[in-house]
Amino acid sequence: MIAVENISKDYRTRTGPRRVLDNVNFTLHKGERLGVLGRNGAGKSTLIRLVSGAERPTSGQITRGMSVSWPLAFGGAFQSQLTGVDNVRFISRLYAQDPEHNLAFIEEFAELGQYLREPVMTYSSGMRARLAFAISMIIEFDCFLIDEIASVGDARFHERCNYELFDKRGDRAMMIISHDPGYLRDHCNRFAVLDAGRLTAFDDFETAHDHFLAQMRVREPVRAVAQPFSRRMAAIDSLRRVAHEDEHFMALVRQADAARDRHDWAAAEASYAAALSLHPYERSYWVQLGHVTREQGRMVRAEIAYRTACAFGESVRVLEPFIAAVEQPGKAAPAIPVAAPDGGETRRQPPGYPDLAVLAALAQGRDRLGDDEALALMRRQDGIEDVLAHMLDDPSTTASGAALPGGIAVVPGDAPLRIEWREDLARLAGARQEELDAALARGDELFHALRRSGGLDGWAVPAASRAEASA
Amino acid sequence: MASAAQPSLAASLKIQRRVLAALLVRELLTRYGRHNIGFLWLFVEPMMFTLGVTALWTATKSAHGSDLPIVAFALTGYSSVLLWRNMPGRCIGALEANLSLMYHRNIRALDIYMARIMIEFSGATISFFTLALVFILSGWLDPPEDFLTVAAGWMMIAWFGAVLAITLGALSHEYELVDKFWHPASYLLFPLSGAAFLVSALPPFAREIVLYIPMVHGVEMIREGFFGSKVQAIYDPGYVLACSLVLSVAALILVRWVEKRLTPQ
Repeated sequence: MIAVENISKDYRTRTGPRRVLDNVNFTLHKGERLGVLGRNGAGKSTLIRLVSGAERPTSGQITRGMSVSWPLAFGGAFQSQLTGVDNVRFISRLYAQDPEHNLAFIEEFAELGQYLREPVMTYSSGMRARLAFAISMIIEFDCFLIDEIASVGDARFHERCNYELFDKRGDRAMMIISHDPGYLRDHCNRFAVLDAGRLTAFDDFETAHDHFLAQMRVREPVRAVAQPFSRRMAAIDSLRRVAHEDEHFMALVRQADAARDRHDWAAAEASYAAALSLHPYERSYWVQLGHVTREQGRMVRAEIAYRTACAFGESVRVLEPFIAAVEQPGKAAPAIPVAAPDGGETRRQPPGYPDLAVLAALAQGRDRLGDDEALALMRRQDGIEDVLAHMLDDPSTTASGAALPGGIAVVPGDAPLRIEWREDLARLAGARQEELDAALARGDELFHALRRSGGLDGWAVPAASRAEASA
Repeated sequence: MASAAQPSLAASLKIQRRVLAALLVRELLTRYGRHNIGFLWLFVEPMMFTLGVTALWTATKSAHGSDLPIVAFALTGYSSVLLWRNMPGRCIGALEANLSLMYHRNIRALDIYMARIMIEFSGATISFFTLALVFILSGWLDPPEDFLTVAAGWMMIAWFGAVLAITLGALSHEYELVDKFWHPASYLLFPLSGAAFLVSALPPFAREIVLYIPMVHGVEMIREGFFGSKVQAIYDPGYVLACSLVLSVAALILVRWVEKRLTPQ
């Protein structure tokens, strides 16, 4: 048994001590596999280091009634000037084992060939990971500490690791930390969530997962810094990277993927839509949204999603059959051509649904678009500036400086409204974000503010002057 | 099997021996590798130092305040310098280089220091012993008059050097200034440590000051053991032992203190 009692850990920083773990308690018995979910920086790695004994807690006590491994798949204990063989011998000596017997196992398992006799510093990171995992398997611990093993090596090696660890050693105690809920669900029988240094235990996976997601929601979202990209595709590429760093976004899409895999299309649609409301330009999930709405027979929404994915740079050739299928079932190719970006100026590029939503907010002060209306606009194959001109020409356009919507729907359906849509607008119009915010704070009319902050430069928007003049 | 909680003393000693042996091999391989003469460098390197200094001093006929042969003087003096100077040099920053070893619960900070100290001690001792043997056989040096006094003086320097090494090593983990100061300090201590003079050749006021440096007593003891009647050695073993004891306690406390602050990557 391992008993962790009231442990806290402080790290010294320049600004005084910072508490990383706060009064953590749990016990782990033989055969139990505890999965600890936590965001990056929640204290997961610190917790595993404390349990492994590599580090001491500031207060509290850890009692180890069984042998505990070092954090698995951890390659740092190698002396990189030494060969793989020497490193294996060192670990064997340290744990009183027969080095030659271990070497035979590692030669077979890690598949390093002649490299085993070369210095570890000449290894690729994949080879290091294989050696590290193989070495971890030669010592028979009662309890294994596992830190994100999912990232070890290629798929084939990963499969063998899973077999060695979860099948052959399935009777041992384990503590697994990860930010991937699916991984923990598949391998653990007890769950806990670590947040801001506090550990909360749960009996089943679903409650733990709900708690984890709820905590993501109260966090500040990861936001893109609006760089004034002149090329739209470069901007979209960097926005996708921002999305991938947002743990809330990633948690939502994992949840959506899981729902899709069990054919719960409605739940999948809701989760993809919520994710896309956070990061509307992550184009690959527009494809997924298209698939799950199509499965529910919502052809208009599916077409909007597919055409949006194409407008943001997904392969038209790949998506055309899907668009054809939702546009006119039975046809091989879409009747209305699919617009794709050509890498030129942003104002001439085809709009995706989020762009249409932002333009509608700009031109008409509306917070959402009807599905049919949006699809009609996309089928027109206009560039962004033409769509804006078209919207301004619409007689229903409010010419007065109506209050700007607080949030707008950037995904069809009833996804959460996007509050940060002005950032999208600034990026779309090429305006400098801070100047735009400042101008709006001064009470400038939106068009006016956009132009003053460098936006809409070169755009042919004749009717804009009408809105501006009347403001 | 890794050990469970609270093993017996005998089991602990067995683990301790195993850990030190594993660390020793690892250190030797890392430092000297398997190329050319491999771990023979352990004592060939200090031998080269001592030989070089002996040759230099012989060539310049350095004054050392006695009528001892210069070869004998240089060998006893410089070998002791290597002994007390190299151990701290290797222990400063030793933890940073080996932080990842802390993931193996049986390895403690003290083990890492001990392994390095043992390597330095063996290197300096083998080098001293071999050179002395060679010089004696070739007739440049008379055999020591009292071998035990030589050994006692050598061990005293070694003890003091070892605990100094652990103290400075532990402090260097928290204060990088230790590393910066040790280099000039060790360089300046070299001429003051008794390597280059006999205490009896100094004026009385200088003697008093120099005898505050613990290493001086050890070097004097070694010289008395070697040359006995030919020199007047001045030393106080009690003083060195007291210094070493106090520093030993400090070193152990500091190692515990620094272990609490370790954060392995």
